[in-house]
Formats: sequence, structure tokens, C-alpha cells
Amino acid sequence: MAKPCAVIGIGQTKYKSKRIDVSLEGLVREAALRALADCELTFADIDAIVVGKAPDALEGVMMPELSLADALGAVGKPIHRVHTAGSVGASTAISGANLIESGRYERVLVVCYEKQSEGNATWALSGGRSGGQGAGGSFAPWIRTYITRSGAPEHIGWKVATKDRLNALKNPYAHLHLKDISIEKVRESPMLWDPLHYLESCPSSDGAAAIVLGSEAAAKKSPNKPAWVIAHAKRTEFGQFPGRDTVYVQAGVDCATELYKKAGITNPRRQIDCAEIYVPFSWYEPMWLEGHLIAPFNEGWKMTDSGATELGGDFPVNMSGGVLSSNPIGASGLIRCLEAANQVRGTAGEYQVDGAKVALGHAYGGAAQYFAMWIVSSELNPTFN
Amino acid sequence: MVTGSDFVPTDDDIAIVAVSQTPAYRLWNDSEQMLIMRCVNDLLGSTGMDRNDVQFTIAGSCDYLSGAPFAFVSNIDGVGAWPPVYESHVEMDGAWALNEAWHRLMLGDIQTAFVIGSGKSSPGTPRHVFPLQTDPYTAAPLGLDYPSIAGLQANALINAGKATERDFAEVVARSRRAAMSNPNAQVSGDHSVDELLAKPHYSSPLRLHDLPPISDGAAAMIIARGKRALELTDRPVWIRGIDHRIESHHLGLRDLSSSPSTKLAGEKVGVHDGPVDVAELMVNFSHEEIILREALGLQDHPNVNPSGGPLSGHPIMATGLVRIIEVARRIIEGEAHRGVAHASSGPALQQNLVCVLEGGN
Amino acid sequence: MTDLSDLIHTIEYPYTRSTGPYLGPFLTGLRDGKLLANTVGGRTYCPPIEYNPESGEDAPATFTEVGPGAMVLGCTWVTDPSSKHPFSHPFAFAMLLADGADVPFVHAVDAGSPDAISAGTRVVAQYRDDRRGAITDVYFVPEAAAVDQSIEPGDEPVLITEHLISLVVREPLFPHRRRYAEGLLSGRLLGQRSPVSGKVVVPGRGYDNLNRVPLTEADELFVSDRGTVSSYTVLTPVQYYGQKETEPYIRCSILLDGTDSPIIGVDVRDIALESFRVGMRLQAVWRAPAERKVDGLDNRFGGSWEDVIERWEPTGEADIDPDSLKDYTW
Repeated sequence: MAKPCAVIGIGQTKYKSKRIDVSLEGLVREAALRALADCELTFADIDAIVVGKAPDALEGVMMPELSLADALGAVGKPIHRVHTAGSVGASTAISGANLIESGRYERVLVVCYEKQSEGNATWALSGGRSGGQGAGGSFAPWIRTYITRSGAPEHIGWKVATKDRLNALKNPYAHLHLKDISIEKVRESPMLWDPLHYLESCPSSDGAAAIVLGSEAAAKKSPNKPAWVIAHAKRTEFGQFPGRDTVYVQAGVDCATELYKKAGITNPRRQIDCAEIYVPFSWYEPMWLEGHLIAPFNEGWKMTDSGATELGGDFPVNMSGGVLSSNPIGASGLIRCLEAANQVRGTAGEYQVDGAKVALGHAYGGAAQYFAMWIVSSELNPTFN
Repeated sequence: MVTGSDFVPTDDDIAIVAVSQTPAYRLWNDSEQMLIMRCVNDLLGSTGMDRNDVQFTIAGSCDYLSGAPFAFVSNIDGVGAWPPVYESHVEMDGAWALNEAWHRLMLGDIQTAFVIGSGKSSPGTPRHVFPLQTDPYTAAPLGLDYPSIAGLQANALINAGKATERDFAEVVARSRRAAMSNPNAQVSGDHSVDELLAKPHYSSPLRLHDLPPISDGAAAMIIARGKRALELTDRPVWIRGIDHRIESHHLGLRDLSSSPSTKLAGEKVGVHDGPVDVAELMVNFSHEEIILREALGLQDHPNVNPSGGPLSGHPIMATGLVRIIEVARRIIEGEAHRGVAHASSGPALQQNLVCVLEGGN
Repeated sequence: MTDLSDLIHTIEYPYTRSTGPYLGPFLTGLRDGKLLANTVGGRTYCPPIEYNPESGEDAPATFTEVGPGAMVLGCTWVTDPSSKHPFSHPFAFAMLLADGADVPFVHAVDAGSPDAISAGTRVVAQYRDDRRGAITDVYFVPEAAAVDQSIEPGDEPVLITEHLISLVVREPLFPHRRRYAEGLLSGRLLGQRSPVSGKVVVPGRGYDNLNRVPLTEADELFVSDRGTVSSYTVLTPVQYYGQKETEPYIRCSILLDGTDSPIIGVDVRDIALESFRVGMRLQAVWRAPAERKVDGLDNRFGGSWEDVIERWEPTGEADIDPDSLKDYTW
């Protein structure tokens, strides 16, 4: 009974450490107007708007859909705001897709952003207190556990960090363009949260991303190729309880299982052409390859090590450069979702995966406890064998 | 005054099957999770459902109220999330969580959802916190607070010749009197209009009693698609429509004496497509009732805010959802057959949601 | 000595807002003693607007001066100003239409008394001596009270406007947190045991989230202050506003003997980084009673270990097999 839904327009800002040239309104409009231009629409054509971002304290603007409503052409329309920690960008895309799939709306504008330079994320994550460990400090012990458990060699993290930065060189919107990145550079960079080096961590970015979602009728009328949303799934578990496995996270396994089932995918490694996975710290590539059933247990690192996840490999991951190259927190999940769409629309430019028909967009958040994913395809009803 | 209707629900219709709310507390001296847990356990108890039978969960809350980024993450402790659950969160009043859950159930693949709204305003100072909703460059640094914006709106209403200070006092007197029979109310009492008018102004033309109390509280409901709803209750409350609209955040671009967004949302859901037996409106400040009644065509309606409304208890982020619950409860109890609930977000009724509910199986 | 009265925490950050091509010139104008406006769709907006509110299209970033006079269209008298307001004495917020503009805006009028202001009152912009390119650089007074000001324009355009947001959060310690705090002051770690699962968690949360059961004083017990490292990292502190840490240190989780969930966020500064490992056995060394405090304790899940425990010492016992600790990595 769910009506078909497609990504018909995509817009991104340039991601930078400080977008000092724009206000918050200017930032979100830049992405929104580009997404509208991509499908040759204006704000007047939009039925509803969905906004997503991480905690309000990052910019010190409470419930920002209120002060951004005018700038996003929302006056007189429905607008709502999603917040599911780091997974919010993907959750917002899914929330928008639900509106189309309900059959009640034809065209929905989804906008996510973060302007980290207005405030300080580590401060906000620490609740404004001293001694905050930041996201890296929270994830580092689990990464260490993964390394111990899987027997992965330490260069895996350096390899992911290098690969994603090399991919970012092909993406004009990426924040980091580290032309001389190398495994040696990553290894020699300062240790921030043992075992994570500085260059194995995501940057702090300003930026916004937007998509226009359309119904089947809207997609057919749209000038450019649609990316059909063929499945989406979300799962959440507690951050802490006795016996929680924080490395091979059950919510992540369940989310992927549900996603593949809905899409009709039985062999994700073979049937998905490429993936944009939320990897804010290098080791999360192999961890989520396992945690989302793409690689066998304890063997995600082997898949990374084999070069399979490079552009040109059999399962490219984070072709755009990923979160390791651009991290406007609240938008990062939407960027994963829209980069997956770029691949199946054939609009990924220099980082296009040849012939990509099915792509995964993914985000996670909180204490690795929130998961939101979607699968997009160049076809409305793809068949898998 | 219960009225009939020819509405015959199908499996595509979605109903509220159980509701729960905590009282509005001036200070709830324990966690927000505990407030939520009470509602969730209450709902599971009243429907006989297991936690895992509820297929989707969505909550509305606001980190800034209690001054803790990511406060909503802890809130899932109260809802239950092991084994992992299908769950989401809006940084909005729980009424908007209901809006999302309603759309989600329309897809047909899942049958049931939890909807939750919760908030603790007591740790912070709402007058310091809420200016952060206004324009971050031209208003927030002025500390432009809700009571002041409400004063400007009430003044606009008077200048437009649509109301007097006596009208505001009448709203307060009626709300507080109605709240005397509401066990969840925080503020209630029998006051004469003249007694209220004798009090000094706070943000003129409003007085302190025209403002809502500062409250902690939570509210929740379970909704279900047609067949499943009938399995879960013999008194389903059908959601006949939800619509919400926003206005400009530039106060200078708005006619503050009216609420076109409420009017539009009300038209979209067909408020007057049937008799309105009861209405619960999110009247954050007394003068807003006059604006909202006009926008919804309920100027002389005899049964508006029988609970006492937000003036008698205002657990922000649950307040809007409580309006929907108050209407649903009256339909469940047979006091009403069809009713209208309203929720708002933002200063001076910037964003408004209207929901029409109807009984019958 | 310590205080178990209300928790008071100030959440404060000086936000730096980039102003962009519309608000930048406007705030530069305020600093230089001028009200600037732009015109779009035939209407003149002060403050300038970035887009046509009708069509959503970009507005022109060209500006004209309006004011300094303005007409009050509506107002409210603030009898009890908050600490965030521009004045500490009673004043008015008013809807003001600047001379030459078509769209009003809200600002503060220092009118002296509520009788001095109502719809139709003429007011004039006045500028503060300490101007910093912010909306608070300007305020308004009734025409008769206005004084001529000579304002020296600044040099650089205003690219950033700063807003110090400072919110005080105040609440009592929840009852179970108070009992936990009292335990810490007496040198003991109080945990809670779920009556459903039998699992012991330190500190308790006041409930068992797995079974959605509230826990009470009857479910509480003191637990061992000896345990096993279940995970750790070495933190190199990131510098941010309010951060006091500068040197690398260990932050670890310790599974206390007899409990089912580790205590987390424990700082260790007296054990060599190289010798620290998962499986290592540690014993708490408490501060002297007079030196224990719980000021850092809040109502969330932290344990405030450093304020009561001086250090953690290796017990010298054989390590526990790290494999057996994999479910306790928090």
C-alpha cells in the first residue's frame, strides 16, 4: 500500500570548516535551491518540508524549523523537524519518504544542515562541561575491542582513512581535499583517542544538504533521472544495559536484515553495487560491513584490506569521501543517502561507480545505537538474483 | 451532547486505542524517563499488549528544556528498546510525533505505534530558554521571551478591536474553573473576572494569570490500523484528519490578531464537516483562545478546553499531545462523538496543528 | 565538605554567527549608527530580508538607510525584565515601523513608563556606546527623549555577530541520586539490583530499562570498589570553551565485582599508559572523608568518581580473560 517514492532533486553546499560567507538561512537555502533547480521546481511546487539536524545547542538555535521556515518556502505549509542523533540525516530522509509513501503528498523537500562553526560540537556533546571525551573518546574503546576480537591488523584504519580522502579529491563539495594523503601520513598523525589517530577522524564542517522527494507521478514529470527509494529501515537500542555488545550491535544487524528483506536482497555484497556508510572514524568501515551483514563476522577488515571497498573494487564504500571527508553532523546522514542516489542516477561525476543500479545509504548515531538506512535503485522494481 | 455520523471505518483508517498522561507537576523530582515509563506501562497494561507487539515508536521532546543535549536519547529507557525497536524522534511537541506515526501507519505494513510527548521545564528558566526559538540575529539577543511576544499579540488583538482585557480574564476564569475537575491539572480554582482584572500587568495587556504554569509531564498513546484497532479496544477513536501549517517567523510579516495557519489546517481536516462536540485548544496564553476560536469557527462553542487547557498545566512537548488525548478520552468515555484538538509550536502561535477525532466502530 | 542541595549548572557558550551578505551590512550599519533596509517585491524591509517572502527568490543585497524615526504599531510593557533583556528596568517591546520601511520589526523602547508608549507613539533610534555589531547596539526612545549622538563609524565590516548564550539549569538531586551521593561521601558505591533480572547496575538509574521497572531504596545495595578494566582509551583532550584538561590520560570502564554493567568514564592518571590493559584488576583508593565532594554529580548517568576516589591501584591479581569481558565494553 506504500506508494512509490523517488529522489528527484539533489542539492549540496560546499562543506568547509567555516562557512563565514552565509547566515543560517543562506546556508540552508543554498542546498535547497540547488535541489529545486536539479528538478526544475520552485518552493511553490513543494507540499511539505522536513528539517533534520543534530542538537540545537550546536548552533544555539532552539527548534530551528521555526526561524528557517520562511527561508525554506514553508510558510503556509507543513514543516517538521527530526532529531535522532548522528543518524538524523538518514532518519530525516526516511521521514520525508514516509510522507510520499503515505500517498498524501506529491513533492517533499528534505533539508539537513549543521553550522558547527557557530558553536563547538565537543562542547555540546559534553553538555557544556569540562573533561568531555567527544565522540572519538566514546567510540575508541569499542574500536579497540573490535581490533582485539577480529584480530585485524592496525593498518586497516589507516587504509580506510586514506581511501576516503583520496575519493574526496574527486568530489568538489567535500570539505577535506588532502592532496598528499597517504597511509604514512595517517599513521604519523597525532594519536587522539588511542587507537584512533587524528587523520582517522572526521572533520568538523559547516554545510547543508537537500533532496526533493517525489511520488511516481512527480518522478515521471521530472526532467532528470529519479533514484527510486525501494526500501528503508530504522532500528534503535539502549545505549547501555548489562551485556550490551557495543561492537556487533544488534540494532544494526536487525536494521540491515529488515532493509534487505524489504528490498528483496538476499546477498548484499553481490546485489548492492556500492554503499555510502556513515564512517566518522576509520574503523567503522569494517565494523559496519560486518554489522550490516555485508561481510562475514570478524572478516570486515579482510574485505577492506582486499581493496574491495575502493572505487573500482567490487563493493565501493564512500565514493564521495564519506563522513571522514565532510561532517556537517546533522546533514552527514542525508549526504550518505543522497550520494547513494547520485550513484544510481549516474550523477556522481568523477566518483561515479560504473553502471551502479542499487546503492545503500546509511547512518548511525548516539552510542552506536541508532540506525537508519535506505536502498535506492535506478529501477522502480529491480529484480535480484 | 453526543451526535451520530455515517462514518464507517475501514482497515485503512487509523484509531487511537489507548491514552495515558501523567499529571502536570510543578517539579517532578525524578527523571523524564520515569514519566514516560509510567505512561508506557499504563498503555501496555490497558491494552494487554506486550512491548514487542507495538511495531513503531515515535517521541517528541526538546533537549533545550532541561538543558541537556541528547536528553532524548535517555528517554528511550522509558519506552523500552531491547530487543531493538523501530523508533524515531521529532524535536517537537508529541502532537507532531502523532502526525508522523499516522502517516507511517498509512503505509499498511505495520499496524501499531506508540506516540509519546514529554518534557521537564522545571530545571530551566523558560523565559531564558524560549528566546532561542526567535530569529538568532535580530531577536534572540534581545531576550525576546514568550510572555513579551504574547503581550505584543494580545495588544494587537485589542488594537484590532477583537478583544478586551476582560475577555482574557474570562478565558482564565473559565479554564481554572474547568481544571477543578481535572485530576491532572496543576493550577485550578474559582476566580471572578473582576478579581483577576484587579491584578497588575505582567507583560501588558497580560497579567501573570494569563500565562501558563511551568510544568513537568508526559503523555502517550497507542494508535492502530482498522482491524487491529478493533481487536485492541471496543472504543476506538478514529483519526479523521491531521493537518499542520506554519507562518512566518518575522513577527512584522504577520497579522498577529489572527491565525491563518490554524484556519488553513482546520479547513484541510474539515473541522465543520460534522458536528463538533468538544474542542481542546493549545491556549498557551489566555488571549490565544480568542484567536484560535475565530480561526476554527468555534467563537461561541460551549465546550472548549473542558480540561482547563494549558493554562492549568503545560508540560511543554506533551501539551499538544495532551489536547488530543483530552478529546480522545471524552470520546472513549461517551461524552462526545466527534471532536477537534489543536497543538501549536513557536512564539505567538507560529505553527499550528489541527486534528479531528471521531468515535464509532 | 559538600552540598547536597540543588544542582546548579550553567550551560554557556559564546556563539559566533556569520552574518552573510544581508545581515552583515545591517549589523555593520547598527555599529555605525544607521538603520539599513532592502527592498524586494516593492516592500522595504528593516532589518533586511534574504528572500522575497512571497516567492522565495533571493532578495537584492542592496541597502538604503531608513529611520532613525519609527512609529509604534503595538507594544507590551515588560514590568519584570529578565536578565536576558536589554534593560534591567521596566521597558516596552514594541512593533516598530521605521520611517521609510514597509514592514515592522520588534525592538526595545526605553519609554520610562507604560503611559508613555502606545500604538502611534513616535520613537527614535539611539545607539549604545559599546557597539559590537549586534542587534543590541540599538534601542529606541520616545521622540522627546532622543538625544543627538555623534557616532564614529568602524573600520571593518561585521562578518560575525557574537551571542553569549548562558542558561542556568537548577534541579534537586533525584532521590536515588541523593542516596548514591551520600554513599560516595561515606566511601561506598551504591548500586541497584533489578528485582526482575537480578542484574546489578552502578550507579542505579532509578529504573531497570530492560524490564521497565522503577527501582526503589529496597532494591539498593553497596557493591565492591574492586573490579576489572573492561575497555579504555587514552584521551588527548580536544580544546574547547570551558575545557580544563590539557594532558593525555586514560579513560576506562571498570566492571566492579558482583555487578553486571561497568562503571564508565573513569579517569586514570597514575598508571603508566603502556601497562594499562583490558582484564587488569584495579582497586579504588578513596580520598580522605573530608576531601570527598560530589559537586560534579548530576542527575544523568555519570558517577563523579574523581571527586571521591583519589586513584585506582592495580591489585596485583592475575588478569581476567578479556574474552569474558566483551559484553561489558561500555
